[in-house]
Amino acid sequence: MKKTMNFVGKSKIFYGISLSIIAIGLICNIIFGATLDIQFRGGTVISYSFVGEIDEEALRDTIQKATPENTVSFTVTKDIMNNTEDEDAYAISVEFSGNESIETDLQKSITATLQDAFPDNNFEYQETTSVEASMGFSFLLKCLTAVAIASVLMVLYVTLRFKRIGGLSAGVMALVALFHDVAMIYFMYVIFHMPIDSNFIAVVLMILGYSLNDTIVIYDRVREERRLAGRDADLADVFNKSATAVMPRTIATSITTLVAIGTVYVVAVIYNLGSVQAFALPMMIGIVSGCYSSLCIAGPLWVAWNTRKSKKA
Amino acid sequence: MKRIPKPVFFIVALLILLFACSAFFGVKYYEGDVQQTAIKGLSDIRWGIDIRGGVEATFKPDEMISGSDGDTATSDSENADGENTEITNEQIDSAKSIIETRMVSQGITDYELYSDYGSKRIIVRFPWKEDETDFDPVNAVDELAATAHLSFRNPSGEEVMDGSAVKSAAARVNQENGEYLVLLELNNEGKEIFSNVTEEYLNQAISIYMDDTLLSAPTVQAHITDGSAQITGNFTAEEATKLANQINGGALPFTLTVSSYSGISPTLGQNSLTAMGYAGIIAFILIALFMIIRYRVPGFVAVIALIGQVALSIAAVTRYFGVFNSFTMTLPGIAGLILSIGMGVDANIITAERIKEEFRSGKTLDSAIEKGTKNSLSAIVDGNMTVVIVSIILLLVFGPSNILSFIFGESTTGTIYAFGYTLLMGTISNFIMGVWLSRVMLKSIVGIKCMRKKWLFGGAGE
Repeated sequence: MKKTMNFVGKSKIFYGISLSIIAIGLICNIIFGATLDIQFRGGTVISYSFVGEIDEEALRDTIQKATPENTVSFTVTKDIMNNTEDEDAYAISVEFSGNESIETDLQKSITATLQDAFPDNNFEYQETTSVEASMGFSFLLKCLTAVAIASVLMVLYVTLRFKRIGGLSAGVMALVALFHDVAMIYFMYVIFHMPIDSNFIAVVLMILGYSLNDTIVIYDRVREERRLAGRDADLADVFNKSATAVMPRTIATSITTLVAIGTVYVVAVIYNLGSVQAFALPMMIGIVSGCYSSLCIAGPLWVAWNTRKSKKA
Repeated sequence: MKRIPKPVFFIVALLILLFACSAFFGVKYYEGDVQQTAIKGLSDIRWGIDIRGGVEATFKPDEMISGSDGDTATSDSENADGENTEITNEQIDSAKSIIETRMVSQGITDYELYSDYGSKRIIVRFPWKEDETDFDPVNAVDELAATAHLSFRNPSGEEVMDGSAVKSAAARVNQENGEYLVLLELNNEGKEIFSNVTEEYLNQAISIYMDDTLLSAPTVQAHITDGSAQITGNFTAEEATKLANQINGGALPFTLTVSSYSGISPTLGQNSLTAMGYAGIIAFILIALFMIIRYRVPGFVAVIALIGQVALSIAAVTRYFGVFNSFTMTLPGIAGLILSIGMGVDANIITAERIKEEFRSGKTLDSAIEKGTKNSLSAIVDGNMTVVIVSIILLLVFGPSNILSFIFGESTTGTIYAFGYTLLMGTISNFIMGVWLSRVMLKSIVGIKCMRKKWLFGGAGE
């Protein structure tokens, strides 16, 4: 028999680690602030591709001249996939200040101006997103509502299914673990300056499901071990035993999922797919956090809650 | 243990592989020279505009004309009549039917079009046409939003009356013979023009056009002076409503403007599709290697079940049979698929680990498999059920018409809906393949003589 790992005994260390990460995240959040993507706050981004060298100052002037009443900023990134032997390919995204959508005419004139001013650079239109502010905000609210409804229903399900190990306490602690994971993903967005967009919501929902699955697998084992050990058994022992028993599964599943999403990430980096990268990276963080929070946060908290309750009784 | 007969493993595995082949490659046959699709394969998946490029736009009524305060910008008689200047659902439907008519006339058939009555928005999403060369979303969107020109033309094609003469059109049922018809009401100015027209072209056809698309060409059967005409022509209820909407579209008291739009060029999309394809294949091979090396026979069975799960999920996306329309697959849709496959792998890992554990506590081969599969079931079911809950919520919240419609209006971003759909289908597939059939195969394969060794199932060496 393998040695039983003591999760509950080290719980103070785990709480400490999590709380300090959350504290660092909060500080970053206060200093940098979170950026909402234009999907949520409204605004316009137009992307073009071009080849060869270009003078950024001249580029800025040209774009600004085409749209005198708006302030624009732009970022240029190298497009590795479409590089040819003699010329480098680039992608440029032009962002308009303010959070309103732009007139379709304006986009036409910018495209035409760019193509006229830099005929050698082969400017080609790639992508536009233009969202009205009020619509973006309503979409954000809707996403948050979806997350809230999903969380409540999941906790309800856990509460009902795990009545034997304290139902509500199990559900609430699972929820704490979920908040922990969402916080981790959120701080990751803040620290890396990634704008909060609908991908963020999709990642959060995926990690909610994934992390809760981890928690449930452990609860399931606790339910079983507790039945075997009897009512009077020490909860900390029962949990440590259960957590140790499911460790191989947790590791194997995490490895396979991380490998799969890691593959997606690497391929996305090679192909320079920003949207897929922005999807895969937080997912990997979420998987690690989901795994950790189930074993080291939800479990010990559940033990603490129920031990206290039985002492009082 | 209730052992399952040995041949069952081979039959189930073969069926899964056959099914997988049909779901991946499709089944096509030729009827004369025309290729018919009996079963759809991967190549028949309808890719979302984020993958193959396309345009998404939201239209709203222009407030300049419909604005309720200082309503002087328009001399339309419907406003002068003191009618409600609020935009009605019927008007939104009419505007929608303009866009629809234009889209069809341009040969775009696989568009998605929603109207959102709450916020008075019309949302449209369509891919680039096959022969499109200048991928310019701005032009495409402007074309759709342009004010519709409704015209009534005489038999020689000259315009005799336009949409400004129309007060309203509505679908009705003839009380006597139960036929559907369209009731056309003209306003005061229209009444006179129409009287002249019906007098001059009695017993001839007057064609009704939207832009350059012919809507209907009814024959004038009477000289109509009261400004109220019936258009009959063996309509179904649907056709009558459509025609009425189209006619109303030519007489809308507002113009449409674009409130938000996005366009993605097809090269960008194609790249991501190839990339995700490679990523999928590499990830699958890595997972298969991991499973077989670590869990041997249960791992091998799991890989077959996984192929089945992927195939079943793909079939749910293509809708498998040729007659159904394929689901629109987007990047988040692929992500949902990945998550559900991850859950499938997890189900098999939980079972295999449990069997290993039972070996460690000294069980025989049969009872280890029996116990292992039984004890691992509740964890798998509970885990998957929560994911099912998440995905159903996503479907309900982000569907085209959804439970939160009354608060937020209809969906503008269907991409998260795709995530929920593939996740739900993938999880259901997981219950069928990863939970049920993989257990059937496992309990069957254990009966084969050369397989009856503990180490093949993850137990300690002989």
